[in-house]
Amino acid sequence: MSRLTAENIVKTYGNKDVLHGINLELESGKIYGLIGRNGAGKTTLLSILTSQNPATSGTVTFDGRPVWENPAVLEHLCFSRELNQMAGSSANSMKVKEYLSVAETFFPHWDKEMAQRLVRAFDLDVKKRISKLSKGMMSMVTIIVAMASKAEFTFLDEPVAGLDVVARERFYELLVEEFSETGRTFVVSTHIIEEAADVFEEVIIVDRGKILLKENTQELLERSFHVSGHEDAVERTVSGLEVHHEEHIGRSRGVTVLLQPGQRLPENSDVSIQKLSLQKIFVALCGEES
Amino acid sequence: MNEILTQEKSIYIQIREMIENDILRDVLLEEERVPSTNELAKLYAINPATAAKGINLLVDEGILYKKRGIGMFVTTGAKMKIMEKRKESFYDNYVKGLLAEAASLGITKKELVAMIEREK
Repeated sequence: MSRLTAENIVKTYGNKDVLHGINLELESGKIYGLIGRNGAGKTTLLSILTSQNPATSGTVTFDGRPVWENPAVLEHLCFSRELNQMAGSSANSMKVKEYLSVAETFFPHWDKEMAQRLVRAFDLDVKKRISKLSKGMMSMVTIIVAMASKAEFTFLDEPVAGLDVVARERFYELLVEEFSETGRTFVVSTHIIEEAADVFEEVIIVDRGKILLKENTQELLERSFHVSGHEDAVERTVSGLEVHHEEHIGRSRGVTVLLQPGQRLPENSDVSIQKLSLQKIFVALCGEES
Repeated sequence: MNEILTQEKSIYIQIREMIENDILRDVLLEEERVPSTNELAKLYAINPATAAKGINLLVDEGILYKKRGIGMFVTTGAKMKIMEKRKESFYDNYVKGLLAEAASLGITKKELVAMIEREK
């Protein structure tokens, strides 16, 4: 069982704090979802975990060994970055096949046969330059690199951005299939939360440079409820509980409740109690005014 | 097994209920192999751990059993067991909600019984 551990990671760009003391432990054999608003620090966190970006302070270790510029450890990690036409990345001038060749030299466990199979499955033109690809095709390249790297811990930054609904479903099937066969650990960041929720064994919510929550996805869904009705009845039902994201219209009130272990909602009170999707829980937690 | 997953209930509960429904409707027969955790995970694009949780509930209840190295199978008598179990939870799952809604609408028990008897 391998473990990637981040301790007290702080990242500052100029006088802007991007990450404030992140502590995170990732275990092998899980699919993690990393969700957070734009600018929450997801990409910075992923790049620090994989030694592509130095932390201002704090350490990242893999089974106790430092990750930073340590080839013996880095061969177990893959961070497949989101490609972007606008960024002045050197990748943009490369053809797809050149980009994949670079990846092949970079990742010691590279599975060339798998890369070729996925290129065919996605119907990708390998002679095209990265900068000439559509957003969806760029996502496909990102996914191919991540999958074919065969790295024990693989990090995908927004892999489905730009993919259409059908391609996104295919990606999640591919992810689950690869995970079932190999038990590799995947950390996937996404803004399209709903369709990914069932794939994530654990969800990590990043908010303003901090880890707000790291929890088994199903357990989080089971302890989260929306309670609504007459404001007095809602008050009686939720008093003493952890409440987020209150909404009022006239006498009507709606709140999101996260139950702690041992807590339960009283029965038969005159309110509507509904289950919430991961996306709604995320909005309730991260959509609050600072 | 081809029902669609919804947001209303936990995924593993839905996996359990789908397999139960398939047993009740003879889609899955007793002593027949059920799809593996990984097959279910891929079919629904869900985490294999979640699929396993649903399957394991059925194993704990004796509705499925494990043949080492081969897979999960439907126990003989599973269909009866599921019917018994659902009969027991029928009051909680259906009657309670029916009575609560009736009460909030001011429908009397007598009216309720009349409605049920109207159904042939």
